[in-house]
Amino acid sequence: MFITFALITLLGAVGMLLQKNVIVAGLCLVAAFFGVAGLFVLLANPVAAALQVIVYTGAIMVLVLFVIMMLNSHEEEKAQAAHPIQRWVSVALIAALAIGAVKLVLASPGLKALAISGAAVPQAMTLQKVGFTLFADHLLGFEVAGLLLLAAMVGAVALTKRNL
Amino acid sequence: MDMLASLLHMTPAIFWMVVKVVIVFSAIMLLASVWTWVERRGSAMIQDRIGPNRAAIFGKIRIIGLAQLLADGIKFFFKEDLVPEEANKGLFWLAPFLAFVPALIGFAVIPFGKSFVSGGVTYYLSVLDPGNGMGLLYPLAIGGMAVYGVLLAAWSSNNKWSILGGMRAAAAMVSYEIGMSLAVVTIFMTTGGYDPAEVIRAQGHLPWAWNIVHQPLGFIVFFTCMFAETNRLPFDFAEGESEIVAGFNTEYGSMKFSLLALAEYSHLMTASALVATLYFGGWQVPFVQNPTVMLSVASFLLKMLFFAWVFVWIRWTLPRFRYDQLMHLGWKVMLPLSMANLVFHAWRMSQGH
Repeated sequence: MFITFALITLLGAVGMLLQKNVIVAGLCLVAAFFGVAGLFVLLANPVAAALQVIVYTGAIMVLVLFVIMMLNSHEEEKAQAAHPIQRWVSVALIAALAIGAVKLVLASPGLKALAISGAAVPQAMTLQKVGFTLFADHLLGFEVAGLLLLAAMVGAVALTKRNL
Repeated sequence: MDMLASLLHMTPAIFWMVVKVVIVFSAIMLLASVWTWVERRGSAMIQDRIGPNRAAIFGKIRIIGLAQLLADGIKFFFKEDLVPEEANKGLFWLAPFLAFVPALIGFAVIPFGKSFVSGGVTYYLSVLDPGNGMGLLYPLAIGGMAVYGVLLAAWSSNNKWSILGGMRAAAAMVSYEIGMSLAVVTIFMTTGGYDPAEVIRAQGHLPWAWNIVHQPLGFIVFFTCMFAETNRLPFDFAEGESEIVAGFNTEYGSMKFSLLALAEYSHLMTASALVATLYFGGWQVPFVQNPTVMLSVASFLLKMLFFAWVFVWIRWTLPRFRYDQLMHLGWKVMLPLSMANLVFHAWRMSQGH
C-alpha cells in the first residue's frame, strides 16, 4: 500500500515537472495530492487526508486550473534568458531541504517509539482531536494564520476592485 | 453468508465488503438511470404533456415508457464515437470517468440502514464502516472532485461554448462549496461528532428532534448549495441551450455523453442521500424506536427518493437564474446565512442548550 501511494505521489510530481502542457501538468499535481492523501490515511490520519483533498485538490488546484484555462495559455513559455546558475541553486536548495526533512523525521519521538516493542499503538486522528490541539496548544498560531489569511483576502479585493 | 464466503475463498469480512460495494453501486447506477426516465415523465406531468411513451420491448410491452431507458442505452452504445479533430484526445476520454467516479463513490460513507448483529459480528450497512475517521468530510472531499470532470470535459473539447460552460460550472461549484461546508460544520458542532452514524443516532427517531427542525436555515442553505453542486436547474450554468449550446458536453456523443448524464444523476442521488442523512434522520423511522433492518432501509430509500424527486420537481418549476444572480446568491446570501446559522448555534451551545 505504501509503495503504491508513494509511487502515485512521485510519478505525479515528476509528471508535473516534465509535462509541457500546463493543464496536464496540473492534473499530474492532483494525482500527487491524492498520493499524499493516501499516505496520510496509512499514517492513521484520515482527517489530514480528507482536508488535503478538500483544500488542495478541491479548491486550490481547481482555481489554478481555472485561471490557466481563462488565460488560455496551454503551453509552457520559454524563459527569456536561461541562467544555468538558477538550476544549480534550486538543486542545492532542494537537497538542503531534503536533508533537513530526513533529519527531522529521524529525530522524531514517534520513530523512537517504534523501536520499543510493545509501545502503545497511536490512536487514529479524529476531527475532535484536531480541534482540541488547534485551540489548546496552537491557539496563537491559529489566530495569526487566520488574521494573515483575512488580510490577504482584503488585499486581493482591494487590489482588483478599485471602486467598490 | 459465511458458507458463501468460504466457497468463494474469501474471508467473511471481505465478502461482506464486496457485497456491500456491489449492492450500493449497482443500486445508485440503476436509480440514476431510472431517474432520467423520472425526469422526463415528471417534466411531462408538470407541463401537462405525456412524455416518452412510445418505446416498447418487442413492440408490445410499454410499461409507461420505462422501455425508453433500454432503448436509450442501446442507442448510446451503438452510436458512433466522435472525437473533435483539435480536441485533447486523452483528456477527452478521461473527463467522463472523472465526472462519473466521484459522483458514484461519494456515497460510500452514508449508512443506508440500521446495523445488525449476526453470529456475534456487527454488520454495518454502509460501504465504509463508522469510525473510519473520514466521516462526513469524505463526501465533501469527493464532491469537490466532481468539478474536474466538468472542467476537463469543457477544456479538452476545444470549443468556446464548452469552455464557457465549464468555467461557469467550476466557479459556481467552488463558490457554493463554502456555504455548504459551513452548514455541515454546524451539524458537526451540534452533534459533537462528524461520523454519519453519529449524526443519525443523535437525531433519534422523533421527527421533531431531527436537524431540520433545529436548523431550518442550515437545511435551506445546504439544499440550495446542493443544486449548485450537482449542476441542476435553476443553477445549471454548465449548459444553457440559448446561450452556449449544451455547454461542457457540446462535443460529447454516444456512451461518453451517457456517462456524463449518468454522473449528473448519480450526483443527484448522493446529494439527496446526504440531505436525508444530515437533516432528516437518515435511516431512522419516525416514531419507531427500534425498527427492523428492512424497515430502516426502506425508510432511508423513501427519504432519499423523495429528495431526488424534489430536485426534479424544482427543476421544472423554477425559472433559471442569470449567471451574476447565481454568484450574488452564493456569496452575498448563502454564505452570510450559513455563517449566521453557525454563530447562532455556537451561541446557543455556549448558553448550555
